[in-house]
Amino acid sequence: MSSVKIEFKNLSKRYKDVLAVSNFSAQVQSGRVTGFLGPNGAGKSTALRCLLGLVNPTGGSAAVNGGSYSQLQDPIHKVGAVLDSRGFHPGLTAKQNLKIMASASDINFSRIDEVLELVDLASAANKRTKGFSLGMKQRLSLAIAMLGDPEILILDEPANGLDPLGIVWLREFLQKLAGEGRTILVSSHQLAEMQNTVNDVLIINKGVLVAQGTIKEICKGRSLEEAFLELTLRKSA
Amino acid sequence: MSALLKSELRKLIYLRANWLLLLWSGLFAALGTVAPILVLNSDNGPGRGVFSGTETQEGINAVFANAAGGYLFALILGILIMTNEYRHGTAVGTFLVTPKRSTVLVAKLIAASLAGLVIQLFSFLFAITSGFIALTFFEPHAPVPAELLFKVLRASAISGLVLGIVGVGLGALVKNQIAAVTGAVIWTLIVEGLVVAFVESIGKYLPAGAITGLVDVDFGENDFNFSIENYLTPGPATLVLLGYAALFSLIAMRTTLRRDLD
Repeated sequence: MSSVKIEFKNLSKRYKDVLAVSNFSAQVQSGRVTGFLGPNGAGKSTALRCLLGLVNPTGGSAAVNGGSYSQLQDPIHKVGAVLDSRGFHPGLTAKQNLKIMASASDINFSRIDEVLELVDLASAANKRTKGFSLGMKQRLSLAIAMLGDPEILILDEPANGLDPLGIVWLREFLQKLAGEGRTILVSSHQLAEMQNTVNDVLIINKGVLVAQGTIKEICKGRSLEEAFLELTLRKSA
Repeated sequence: MSALLKSELRKLIYLRANWLLLLWSGLFAALGTVAPILVLNSDNGPGRGVFSGTETQEGINAVFANAAGGYLFALILGILIMTNEYRHGTAVGTFLVTPKRSTVLVAKLIAASLAGLVIQLFSFLFAITSGFIALTFFEPHAPVPAELLFKVLRASAISGLVLGIVGVGLGALVKNQIAAVTGAVIWTLIVEGLVVAFVESIGKYLPAGAITGLVDVDFGENDFNFSIENYLTPGPATLVLLGYAALFSLIAMRTTLRRDLD
């Protein structure tokens, strides 16, 4: 039986004159892969950062497991997040970066080799990350997100900068994680990829939720791209 | 907290730049002891004229008081410990693991304090050793009393412990790494001297003035126009430095650390 793992309730965020997220309410069910879609500047990243306690909402709330992220005990074991391809020190090796994160939450170092294997980065474990390609950085970000073996994954544009092989790898990776029953909220521009990967869809445009439902309910026989364009253009008009 | 502290210490150990900073602190402090020995004892130097050379106690005091001079590097390391998080975007990961930002700040303050202590102990030893070696070229010289070395060692240890904390507080407040480091260096080496020149009475309450009070070594009023009487004693001087650390950290906790992390 599925339960609500992530919930946005009337979430709003204003940056000076810009209303990035406006009265946004949505739910993400457990054990589902939910695509968080929207044009550039739609408010996806802001909403995710509010969810993870990195950005203070102007109004409303965002909850993980029924409470705010900052209230979670040992959050890295419950939620893994990839927000951008930075987030590690360029002067350190992949393994050193992972050791720093692992030691901050008392994770056994044997887990580091496991996550490096998981993201196909074991061969670059002892290379400094300043020499990493964007794809390798994304994989390392995913490895960091998986360190605590979390049940919930929040991924912001994980396909950004990936070449076609990387995108295929990411698709299979997400499908594998979904197969393990994890709850995944993934924002992306790769609509064709999303169509093959997600169970549910949230579409946001100009900070406002424009559609929410299962992929079938949203697409209604169309491709996800067609549905997305119609929904975002119709709301924009 | 202990896990977070371990993580912070691991960052310090892994980064090559920190080891370079440690080396520079030793060289800087050693320059502070060796250069005065050369100047005071040169044919045309002050030691041959109005000022005392290293054959006098004042000259020896002036030389070895500089062995605490690596404190600037403890301050810089403290700044780097905090600002590296913003410069390299690792703050996101750090705050995802530990959402309570004040806890992260406290772990960094402790780590910086320990790192500052290491820097100052290393630079003290390097400077003292260099000073003794340099003195062998200028025999005879006045004795180097154990009390003098103890005072400078005490000042080195306390300034290292406290200035690492001051650095983290400053770095939390001024998140831009270049601005924070440049500002701290310019203030310490230039601005503070100018402020003291114009408003002498507040000099002892400023950071470098407090450290001079902490060293508690008199160079001789006649020779160097310097008297330790004008400075705070080590206890109050330590409190003044801790006050700066607390002030910066508290303001940062109320302001910059609460801001959005984009």
